[in-house]
Parts: sequence; C-alpha cells; structure tokens
Amino acid sequence: MEDNKMTDSNKSAYVSMKKVGHKFDPRPEAPMVVQDIDLDIHRHEFVAVVGPSGCGKSTLLRMVAGLLIPSHGEVSVFNRPVTEPRDDVGIVFQKANLLPWLTVRKNVLFPLKHKYGSYSPSDEKRANELLEMAGLTQFADKMPDELSGGMQQRVGIVRALLLNPDILLMDEPFSALDALTREQIGFDLLDIWKKNPKTVLFITHSISEAVLLSDRILVMSKRPGTVLDLIEVDLPRPRSSQTINSPRFAELTDLIRGYIYEPNVPA
Amino acid sequence: MNPTYQPKTWLGQQANRFAPGLFFIGLVLLWELICRFGNVPNYILPSPSAIFIAFFDVEFSRWLTHLWATLRVALMGFALSILIALPLSIGMMRSELMNRVLYPALIVIQSTPVVAVAPLIIVLLGTDDPSRVLITCLITFFPLVVSTTTGMLETPPEMIELSQSLRAPRYRETWQIRIPYAIPHIFSGLRVSITLAIIGAVVAEFVAAEEGLGYFIQFSTSFFKIPQAFAGLIFLSVISLLLFKSIQWIQAWLFPWSLPKKK
Repeated sequence: MEDNKMTDSNKSAYVSMKKVGHKFDPRPEAPMVVQDIDLDIHRHEFVAVVGPSGCGKSTLLRMVAGLLIPSHGEVSVFNRPVTEPRDDVGIVFQKANLLPWLTVRKNVLFPLKHKYGSYSPSDEKRANELLEMAGLTQFADKMPDELSGGMQQRVGIVRALLLNPDILLMDEPFSALDALTREQIGFDLLDIWKKNPKTVLFITHSISEAVLLSDRILVMSKRPGTVLDLIEVDLPRPRSSQTINSPRFAELTDLIRGYIYEPNVPA
Repeated sequence: MNPTYQPKTWLGQQANRFAPGLFFIGLVLLWELICRFGNVPNYILPSPSAIFIAFFDVEFSRWLTHLWATLRVALMGFALSILIALPLSIGMMRSELMNRVLYPALIVIQSTPVVAVAPLIIVLLGTDDPSRVLITCLITFFPLVVSTTTGMLETPPEMIELSQSLRAPRYRETWQIRIPYAIPHIFSGLRVSITLAIIGAVVAEFVAAEEGLGYFIQFSTSFFKIPQAFAGLIFLSVISLLLFKSIQWIQAWLFPWSLPKKK
C-alpha cells in the first residue's frame, strides 16, 4: 500500500474532486453552497483555497475530511471515494481547538487516547519529538490557555501530525491571530512542512497568506462557490520575508484580489 | 476595588476593604439596639446576645447530634442526586427522544412543591432516612440535570468534529470531550444543589424526625424557646455556607482549569 502510493504519486492525485457540489437542504429549490468544483491535489503539494466569507471553502474541506458527504459529484482520497474520516488525513482546526483541560502534551496525544483509549511510551516519545520540532518543548506541561494564540495553533498543527497523516487539511488555521503572529506562524508552518512533507489543503481568506504558502491557489466565487481560477504560484522556495517584497508576489496577489472584488470580470 | 471611589486615608481604605463585614456587624448591632431599647420580648424577636447565650444553653454533644443528622440526610440526598443526574443527563444529551419524553416529567417534578409532597413520601416510605433522603434528592437533582445537560450540549462543534475525524467511539466522545467540557456547568449546578440539599433535609425533618437541626428549630419554637430556635437557624446558615464553599474548593482542587481566569 505504502509503496503503491509512492510509485503512483506522480500520475494519480492524492486528493481528487470531480464535479463536487453540495447543498445542506435536499429540496430541489434549495441553493447550492458549492458547485462544480474540480481539483486534483498531488503528492506533497500545498494547495490553498481562497474566497469570500461564506463561499463554501470550509464545506469543501469537510468533504475531503469525510465529515460531510457531498450531495453532488465525488471526492476521493487515494482513488477511493471518501465515505468517512480516514486515518491518513489530519485536520488543523480554526482557533486551534485545543481541549482546555489537558496539558499541551496530552492535547498532542489526544488523537491516540481518543481513538484507541491509550497510548504507549513510544507514542509519547513521538509527541515529544514533534513538540521539539515545533519549538514547544518547554511548554509541553503547560495548559493551553497559558500559551499565546500562535503557540496554541502550533500545538494544533503538531496534534494533526501525531498520526503521521499523508494529507493535512487546514481550515483557516490562522484567522484568529493578529497580523504579526500570523506572518510568523506562516513561516513556521513552511518550516514544519519542509521537515514533514505533506499534501496540504489550506483554507484561508487571506490572499497574501495563500500566495506566500502555496504551490497552487483555487480562487472561489461568492456563494454558490464555484472555481474562478486555479493559479500556479511560481515563486521560488524556500520562501521568506523577501518573497513578500518581490514584484511577482504583488502581481499574484493583485490577480486574486481582482477576482475577489469583481467576481464576474476576469482580471 | 471600586474604580470610581478611592479612599484617601488609611482608615478610609481599611473601612472600604472590610465594608461587607462592617455592614454585617452594623446590622447585628442595630438588631441588638432595637431589642434592648425597644423592649422587644425574647419570644418575639430575641436579641443577638440572647441567641448567643442560648447557643451555650444547649449541650455541645446535642448540637453535634442534630448537626450530623441534618448533614447526613443532606449529603446522602445530594449524592443520590448526582448518581441519578449524570446518567440521566447523558441519556437526554444522546437521545432526542429521551429528552422529549423526560423533560416534561422533570418540569412537573420540579414545579411540584416538595413541602406538599413530603408528607406523602413519609406515608409511602416510612419515617426513617430513606424518605428524608428521597425528599432531599427530589429538590436537588433538577438543577444538576439541567446544568449537566446544557454543558454537554454546548460543547463546541469543532471539538465534536475532532472526535468524528478520529472515528472514536461515542462513549469516548462523551467521557473525554463532553463531560470535561461541561465541568464548569456541572459545578454551578452542584453549588445550587448543595444549598437546596440543606433545605430538603430541613423540610423532611419538619415533617417527620426526632433529630436534626430542622427538628430542633421546630421543637424549640413549639416550646417558645425562640433564642434557641434562632441559634439553630444560624447553625444551618453556617453549614449551608460551608458546603457551598467546599464545592468551590473541590472544583479549585480537582479542576483548576475550569475556574474563570483572574486578571
């Protein structure tokens, strides 16, 4: 299975959406939330989805996560239709979503404790390694509310990595953070991603964040969310604060901004 | 403490700091003065000093007997409430049908005055502890069920999604996410319940008992030993207060994260 994935990785997509649409209300006159979404995400690719509030970005993520079954079209992960959440897909939630009654380390280990009822010393070792990788070792025994918002979200990312998923889904993970923290944690994420290469689907409403982090950007329209464009981000990696100052960065953000503010006129 | 009023002098600051206590002492003094100089007879309204003296008229071992009787019934009723409320809340949280069926029944039980039901329970279960514990339980379990159910239902959907994304069994969603999340709610229910438990025990003693502080107050009143009755009453308030406080202490000790953040 593992080998299969590796050899096929260049040909077949890790995540594939075909004509995906969804409505929460099954009546025929009910409005669609998202419509006709086609997207393939390949191995170790970082794809961001941007769009105005309420355009169904999070709905899209929930369908890949198996938390929501689309009413139209098909979402598949490793060529299998998604019918329920999978172990090889990890989720980073909005606002960290840590459990306030557990220490940072226990929050990171929570997926194992919750799924299987217990965890082994080697799991604990892995949690400690992940915490160290994210620079959180000295906070491992603290409670979540003793950490800043940025650190909390780093814990959220580390927790999603515990089960070593192939695919990482991130649902506006930095939207609750202030602008400075947000930029820094973006670089932190790229660093973590470099050390643990994953296939990432990253939902955001920040255009510059999408351009800074991703390989490709899916731009969505207002509700019902449809694909306005799929943009290749040809900025060199590793990216840094220099990237933000490059002319190409400005071009790309302007291009996307054009779509968001005038959804019917291609920029 | 008060942002608008800051006393300047040292005396003023101390007065400000101890204002609640000073107010209470003032009230007791006023009471004493009214009784002394208004010639209010002791069997109508005893003065605080008369109550103080009456307190020592009763043997200490008798106080302890009455105290223990009331405390025993209150705590047993309270414990029974917790044992009933937790599974009931979990059931009502998990099953919409159970919620729909049980909620009206709970409202009916809650809105029936316990004082009116108490004699019937005595007829049904006899004059011993079981009746008194049941009476206490009836009055205490409603706030517990409501607060526990509310807390579990208010668990943020993202936390539930975290559980679903792991395909964890439902019972772990309940025990590892919903119940811990409900802890602050559960404790506010426990605080209400523990004071009601004392009320329940006293009501039960009014109806049928040979000991307990409620019985003592009733007995003293019927013999016109009003200062003694007041002494019993004060004892009751102090116990209520201590139990209320100990619930807070237990919460701070076992679940420090569940307390509202200072600063």
